[in-house]
This record gives sequence, C-alpha cells and structure tokens, in this order.
Amino acid sequence: MAARGHVQDPNDRRLRPIYDYLDNGNNKMAIQQAEKLLKKHRDLHCAKVLKAIGLQRTGKQDEAFTLAQEVAGLEPTDDNSLQALTILYREMHRPELVTKLYEAAVRKVPTSEEYHSHLFMAYARVGEYKKMQQAGMALYKIVPKNPYYFWSVMSLVMQAISAQDEKLSHTMFLPLAERMVEKMVKEEKIEAEAEVQLYFMILERLGKYAEALEVVRGQLGEKLTSELQSRENKCMFLYGRLEQWPECNALSRKLLLKNPDDWQFYLSYFDSLFNLIDQSWTPPEEGNHSAEGEVHCSVAQAIGFVEERLASEEVKETRPLRGPYLARLELISRLRQRGSPDEQQLGEPLELMFQYFVKFGDKPCCFTDLKVFLHLLSCDAFVNRLTEAVPLGPVGEDGVALPGDTRALQRHLGAAQLSRCLGLQHALSTDGKLALIHELRAHYRHGLQFGTSCLKTELQFSDMYCLMAAHVYIDLWIETGKEHVLWQCLGLLEEGLAHSPSNAQIKLLLLLLFCRLGAFEPVVDLYSSLDAKHVQHDTIGYLLTRYAESLGQFAAASQACNFSLRFFHSNQKDTSEYIIQAYKYGAFEKIPEFIAFRNRLNNSLHFAQVRTERMLLDLYLDADISSTLEESVKNMSLCPEEDDIPWDSLRDNRDLDVFVSWNPKLSKEHRQLSLEEESLWLRLRSLTLRLAGCLSGLCHSPQAPPPATPHAQRNAEKSAENGVASKPADMQPLLGQLERTLGQAAQFTDKHQQYPFLGPPPTRLPQALANGSCQCQLVALQLPLHVQELETSGLDQSAELQAQIANLFKSLTVQLQDMLNKCKGDLLEVTDGRCRAQPSLLENLVFFVETVCVVLWVSSHCSGTLRPLKSSLQKKKKKKKETSTVTPVVLSGFQEFTASLQTLLSQAVEQIQDQESSLTALKLEALSLEGLPQAEVKDTFSCDERTFIKAAMDKVQSSYLRSLQEVGDLLRKRADTLKSLKI
Amino acid sequence: MAYMTTLRGFNCDDLFKFNNMRLFPYPLALQYGIPFYLQYLAHWPEYFVVAEAPGGELMGYIMGKAEGSVAREEWHGHVTALSVAPEFRRLGLAAKLMEMLEEISERKGGFFVDLFVRVSNQVAVNMYKQLGYSVYRTVIEYYSASNGEPDEDAYDMRKALSRDTEKKSIIPLPHPVRPEDIE
Repeated sequence: MAARGHVQDPNDRRLRPIYDYLDNGNNKMAIQQAEKLLKKHRDLHCAKVLKAIGLQRTGKQDEAFTLAQEVAGLEPTDDNSLQALTILYREMHRPELVTKLYEAAVRKVPTSEEYHSHLFMAYARVGEYKKMQQAGMALYKIVPKNPYYFWSVMSLVMQAISAQDEKLSHTMFLPLAERMVEKMVKEEKIEAEAEVQLYFMILERLGKYAEALEVVRGQLGEKLTSELQSRENKCMFLYGRLEQWPECNALSRKLLLKNPDDWQFYLSYFDSLFNLIDQSWTPPEEGNHSAEGEVHCSVAQAIGFVEERLASEEVKETRPLRGPYLARLELISRLRQRGSPDEQQLGEPLELMFQYFVKFGDKPCCFTDLKVFLHLLSCDAFVNRLTEAVPLGPVGEDGVALPGDTRALQRHLGAAQLSRCLGLQHALSTDGKLALIHELRAHYRHGLQFGTSCLKTELQFSDMYCLMAAHVYIDLWIETGKEHVLWQCLGLLEEGLAHSPSNAQIKLLLLLLFCRLGAFEPVVDLYSSLDAKHVQHDTIGYLLTRYAESLGQFAAASQACNFSLRFFHSNQKDTSEYIIQAYKYGAFEKIPEFIAFRNRLNNSLHFAQVRTERMLLDLYLDADISSTLEESVKNMSLCPEEDDIPWDSLRDNRDLDVFVSWNPKLSKEHRQLSLEEESLWLRLRSLTLRLAGCLSGLCHSPQAPPPATPHAQRNAEKSAENGVASKPADMQPLLGQLERTLGQAAQFTDKHQQYPFLGPPPTRLPQALANGSCQCQLVALQLPLHVQELETSGLDQSAELQAQIANLFKSLTVQLQDMLNKCKGDLLEVTDGRCRAQPSLLENLVFFVETVCVVLWVSSHCSGTLRPLKSSLQKKKKKKKETSTVTPVVLSGFQEFTASLQTLLSQAVEQIQDQESSLTALKLEALSLEGLPQAEVKDTFSCDERTFIKAAMDKVQSSYLRSLQEVGDLLRKRADTLKSLKI
Repeated sequence: MAYMTTLRGFNCDDLFKFNNMRLFPYPLALQYGIPFYLQYLAHWPEYFVVAEAPGGELMGYIMGKAEGSVAREEWHGHVTALSVAPEFRRLGLAAKLMEMLEEISERKGGFFVDLFVRVSNQVAVNMYKQLGYSVYRTVIEYYSASNGEPDEDAYDMRKALSRDTEKKSIIPLPHPVRPEDIE
C-alpha cells in the first residue's frame, strides 16, 4: 500500500464532520456542511463527492450524478475523492464507472500499487476478465509479489470459464494459464498453498489428470495442508478419473483402516473392487501392489475386509460405529445387483437389518440408514420381526401398548416409519387406517410426557407421530374424498403446533393443507414463523407465491413477492463483494463457485415468476384505477418488446423434498413435469404481461405523460430509440406466441397426471384452461389489432370488419358470463351437518376478476379509438344535416358491450355479497365433527380436540371472508372505471 | 462415536439444501445472511465443513476462522457456528466436527480454540466441557435481545492447543468483560 503520512491532512479534519453526518444518516446536514466547506475551499473535490452522496441518499439521483461526473472529469488522484466516488457509484449501481475512475488514476500515478490494485478489483466487480489479467500483470511489474501474478493467472482461468467457445478455453486461455504457472514452478517461485490449488484447478479443467496427480503427490503437493486430507481426497478423485483402480482401491482401504466410518471411501473401495474384478486384474508377483500399497481384487477379500471391520466394532467397549454394518449391507446390495451368489456369505439381509435395528434403533437416523436397503428384503416379515425389538408396556385401556422411555419411543417410531416406508400403512383398509390413526395419536399424546421440560425452541420427542398420523389422514382423504378427515387432520396438527411451537414440519404441513383448502390468511403467519432466510425465499418461497394471489389475497401476494424480490436483488451486490475478497485471500476455487451461485439465483424459476407476478398484480390492482395503464407500465419500467426471462437456462431451485415423508421419493419424471408446467404457466403470464405493456404503448393521445422515475426515463429513452411507443405490429408476434403456448398448455394438461400430495403443487394452469379465462383473455387481447385496422379503414368502408369486432364483443360478454357462473355457490357448504370447502369457486372468482381487468384495459383502448371515429361521424352528420339514425355496427356493438359489462360486474359484486353473508351466517359450532360414527366410536373427540378443529375451521372461514372482501373491492373499483368507456 | 458420513468443504450449492437443517430448531444453530457465509467461504474455506449423509442429506456443518495476534500469543481458531440436524443428533457428529476444527487450528499454529455460547444453553456448555473446553470468561450481554427475550451473557470457552504448552491461554479471567472489550 502507498505510504501515508502520519501527520493528519488538514482536509481530513475538514471533511470529518461530513463523514459523520453521512454515517449517522443525517444527509441534509451533510449536504449543508459540504456546501459551507466548498464556499471556503472551492477545490476540495471530495466535499463535492460527499455532497453528491448526500444527494443520492435523499433521492436526488440526477443532481448527484452531475456533481459526481464533474469531479470524475477532473480525474482525481486523492484517496478521499476516489474512495468517496467508489462508494457513490456503488450506491448508484454503476460499478463500471469505478473502473474509469481508477484507469485515470493509474494513468496519472503509474507507480501506485494501491491504485493499480483498486483498478484490478474494480474490474473484478464487473467481471472484465481480460482487463483483470492485464491489470494483474501491471501490478506484478510494479511490485513483484506472487499474489498479483496469480491474480492475473486466475483472470485467464475466468476467461476460460466464461468463454462461449469451449475450444478457445482449451486451446488458448487454459494452456496460457498453465504455462504461466509452470514458469513460476521452474523458477521455484511457488510460495503459497493457494498457488498450488490454482495450478491443480487449471490442470483439472484441462483434463490433465496425470499431470495433476504428479503435482499433488510431489513436492508442491506438500503445500496442500489447510484442508484435512486434502491430498488424499484429490488423489482419490484423480485415480477415479484416470481409472487407476488399483491405487483407488488401495487408498480407500488405507483411509478406511484409519477411519472405518467414512462412507465415501466404502463407495470408492467397492467401485474400484468391482472394476478390478471385471478387468480380471491381478497383483504383480513381486513388489508393491500399487503406488498406494495393498490392493483387494476379489469378492472374498472384500468380504474379509468388511468382516474384519465389523469384528473390531464388536469387541470395542465404546459405542459401535455404524459404517461397517452399513458397508456389509451395501456389499450385499452390490453383489445382488451383479447376480453373485457370494452375498449369502455375508448373511441374510432381513436378519442383518434386524440386528442393525437392535443396535441402533434408538437413534433417529436409524430409519434413514435402513431406508436405502429396504429393497433387499420382503416387507411383512421384517416389520413383524422389528416389533420384537420394540419394548412396549402392557396394552392399555384404549388398546394401545406404549413405550416407557424415549429410547423405546424412538424404536417404536423407527419401526412405524419403516412400516410406512414399506407401504404397509398404505395397504390398510379404511378401518385399518382409522385404527392406525387412533394408535399413532395415542403414542403422540403419551410421548408428550417425556418432553415436559423441553424449551419452546426444542421439538417434542413424539412430534413425528403427530406428523405421521396427519399423513395417514391425508391418505384417507385422498382415498375416500371425505373432507371431515381433513378437518380432523388440521385439528391434530394445530394441537401438535400448540405443544411444539417450533416444529417447522408441522407448520409446513398446516400451511399446505390450508392452501389446498383455499385459505391463505392463516398461511401468512405460519410462513413468517418459519423465519425463512435468504436462499429459502428461493427454495420454499413457491409455497407462498403459488397460492396468495390465486386465493384472492392480493395484499399478502404483493408482500410475498416482495420478500423474494428483495432477496434476489441483493444477491448481485452481495456476491461481487465476496468475489473480490476471494481474490484477496487467494480462495481461487471459490471464485467460479460464487459466480455460479449468482447465476443460479439470477436464473431462478421462482425469481422469474415473482418478477412477472408482481408486475401483473400491480397492474390488476392499479392500472386504470389510480393511474392509467400507460403510467403503471412506465412506472414499473416494463419493456414489452424485451423478454427478460432466461428460458434456456432457467433453474428450478425449489426444494420439493421439504416435507418429511415416508412415501417413495418424488420421481425425476414428476420433477420434470412440474418444471414443464411451471414454465408453461410462466410463459402465459409473461406474455399476458407483455401484451398489457404493448397495449399501453398504443397511445391515442399525442402527449404522453412524462416518465415518473429516472429508471422509467431510461426505458422511455430506450423505447424512443426503438422508434416511439409500441405499434399494433408488436402485438402480433406476442399474440402468436400466446396462442401457441395455449396450444402446448392444453396438450400438457390433457396428458398430465397428478403429482403426489406432498410433491410440487400443481400450477393454476389446468384451472385457467378449464374455466375459460385464458381463451377469453386471448380474444380480448386480439381486439386492439382489429380496432386498429378499423381506425385505418374508417367507418364507411368496413362493414365486414365492424361485424367481426361486434361479434368479438358479444363473444367476450358470453365468455365472461360463463366464467362468472362457475363461481356460483357457497365456499363452505354445509350438508347433513358436515362442512365442505369449495376453494375452486374462489380460484375461479380470482380468474374472473383478472380477466375482467384485461377486458377493461382493452375496452378502454377500444373506446379511445372509437370515440374520435364517432365524433367525426357526428360532425359529418351535422354538416350534411343528416338525420339518419343508423349507428355503425361497431359503435352500437361497443355500447351494448359496455352496458352488459356493467350488468355483469353488478351481478358479480352481488354474488360476492351473497357469498359473504352466507359465510358470515354459518354457525360452525353446530357442525358435527365425527365423520363415520360407526368406525370412529373409539375416537369421539375430547373438548380440547374439538377446540383445535373449530379453530382450524374458523381460520378457513375468516380467510374466505377476507378473500371475498379483497376480490369484491377490486371488482367494485373496476366497475367504477366503466363510466370512462362511454363513447 | 459414530457419524457415518462424508465430510467435505461447504460450497454455495449447499445453501439450497439447507431446509433440512434450517427449518428445524436447534440450540446450537446460529443464522446468518448470505454475505456472512460468502465471507467465510472467501476467507477461511478450510474452516467451513459440511457433513453429508449417504443419501445426500445435510447432517450438520461447522464454520470457523483463524484470528488474533501471533506476537501476543492470541492467534487461535474460532468456532463461529456449529449445527447438527435433529435427525443426526446423538451420533457424536458435533464432536467430530470440533475435532476437525481443532486439527486445522493445530496446523495453523494456533494457541487455542475458542467459542461463544449462551450461558443458558446448558446442553451445549456441557457438551463443550466434555470435549475439553472450559469457561475462560463471561461476556456480559453478548447476545442482543430478540423475540422479547432479554439480552443474554455468553461464556467464552477455550481449549488449549499443543503450542500453548503451559496452557496459559485458558486460565480463567477473574471478572466478566463487556462485548466492546473483546476484539
């Protein structure tokens, strides 16, 4: 770093108060103080920059920018100004300007190590790899320190990684990087571990595994000390790549002797073993088996090896390791896969797994351990055998035998989990399932006594029983379609949550069930109590955003999108900071990793969805209500001609295994289908959004309102460059895409099968197609094209076109009426004292209101076109003093259309009011909760249980009311805009 | 001790698998924002290790750093976070991860390893004692209030490494200190 004087610069003293004001968020005072200072010291540039920071932070971006550029134009070389400008540019999200700043600084002070290093980092921030490479070398020339040289090497690697052309990477960038490192090796100048790591990275990317192995095993490899087993792990990786099975086997064996519990080395031991067997490899008669020592190359040796490991566990006084026992099962599994009879030498899987259960059954992970090997045995016998190893007390009054302590509980739970996993619970009859629920609930409540001293943040020992009982309830519900089991399930989960308020799995399941019931209101609190952090907005945010809007809770939907968007937007800034740090600390392997991380988030499916949905939502709620569609579109700087979704590299980051489950794992096929469905739906939504954007650009008035924000201004400039507003021609291709996508969507839903209940939630797509909203919106969005055509041809010569348009108006009315009819009915329907939720009515209602929004935007555009046509017609008539009363078809058609819209909306508002009042009148207390009285005699509900079930019902009822209110409000606001459609 | 697992360096993609760990409450866990994790990955990647089960589930992780002045014999390893998913508790995994962090700190020539723990977290305090840690000092109101809970004191617990032959680094301080007095 450049040496700095110890005597304090008087300017530092003068600037101090401004810095303090800025630090304390007192931007106004900072600006004033800076102005005061500038009066006395006109050349104190830094004060100007600090003033600009104050301006930027008080929302005066333009002034701030002008001021900053004034100083930057002087090409300052004082630290204070440079640093302040760097901060300012970063806050302006213009990191590229920092590079210009330091380019000028190093030009003026070419020997400054500090400025060169700032320049390198500025390039790193914007990913200018080539310039980084040069800046690194320039630095090294000034100050020959190794890190600078290797910064330059790393920049070459980054050029290789980011190159579109892979050939270029392999023939130019990487070999160049390799040569640069080799030069240092030859000159014996390699100093740090990071340098060897980088060398390894280059060789690995070049596929030069043999050379890499030489490095790792040689003298340079001795520097690899920070990470434990770094050399061994690298060797193992390379042996695998080079298919050097003898070495791979010998090294795995050695490492297992050291640590017989490291699973990855069992896998490499077996992999290499069978490869050697397949190659009929034999050890040399003399000398070492391999560079890593003794090699095992027969099944007999492997069996012997595993049994030795087991034997040493058996004689140990301390708790035995699980690794060797599971390794035996793994070996059996692999031998069976190869059809080898040798597996019998290792024992009977059922017996071995039973023994495993005896040894480790009191550990929560026992289930996870054995799950992988269940395919080795037939199920019934196994579960029966397991119960032998579950110590339970005598059968109690309610017919259930219960465990005496937590270890016994864990064993019983483990057996229950295995039994569910083997499908035994699913195979039960309805009565069998009810009896099972009864038993699980008894275990659940009994187990609570062991956790009376648990902190609020800890889980109850028996929580899993509660969850499992809920799963059986869900099975029953899917099987019988009887909704009362769902209410009981909700009641049980509410009870579980009351006893274990930190149990995220209970919250998640409640959340899912409420969503499926169409009740979003309780979900808001449940989700927020999960306290989802950063990446989780991406991985589980879908649970929230899938349902909020579709269930008519628009305010909550906006909020949900905002949570996610805030996270995604901070990602860009966060990551570049740490890429720079990784250079500083020589963590080279982390640099591509950080960049890949950033890309994974930027290309996230969920990100694209919340971006799109947030804008659509804003338009539904505001456009043509509090501001015009044009203004709304401009405010969100929507560029309809640009598709901002990276379709080809879309990443599905959803965690679809977030629910604890003992059902078969979600299949790849279902994952794939779900992604396909999500993408189709996203495409439809994004096209709708862009079409709305186009529609707003089809301006009638020559004087558009001024752009509202600088950001919008930039976009406005952009669209101006692209040739004023949008034209109907822009809509044509988008409409074509929309039509094609609708076709694909219809095909998709036709062949589509259902996902498992705990798997991905289905999108809104199937319902959107079924209730006609997609079709209706498409027809509406096609209208502007016809109307535009009419505008060109005029009213006189266009009878056919007019008739066509009038027909479209009629068709829209019919379609909307049809959609509205599909929303009729009670959301909570009570028959025979039982309560049935009809969430699809609510979802249809939301589709209806969304479609109304689109139709009204289009209508507003139509009225804007038809109005002048009509008035010029009237003028003509006046001139000619005609008294003919024939109104052109299109005009009368439009008037009829708006009139029927008026009727339709009043009807909808009334319908919602009826639904609200019948919901309010509903007395849930009067409902019977027991479902099948015969089968459930044992399960008459206690007072507490009733309370929990009622609580769940109340939540659903209250949520429906809120949804109806929000949807009703929006419809009323929309109805108010009908007046402006008069022509 | 039986952990039956694979220990490997933490990488960014692991953040996407965090739901198993994060959605369960655990007394040992601390939560940070992305920048915090990235900072550790950029600066002390070797100290950030994850344990993975055979099925690919995250079992637990440890995150630490090396800091302090060598001249003042304060160069040491610090445990920033240690966390094990409930399903994989009672297997000795936390001990294994701690052992690993100590080994790394040994190699770096540290004098001791230290960590902070809530004084109320008796389970954790006992676990660390079993692993050879002792209370070096109490830090007053180290944990700031959240969720209606008041501020809470922390124990600064230490274990001497082989470089500190006389175990000077772990002689308990007679008086508690304030957070601003620790670096």
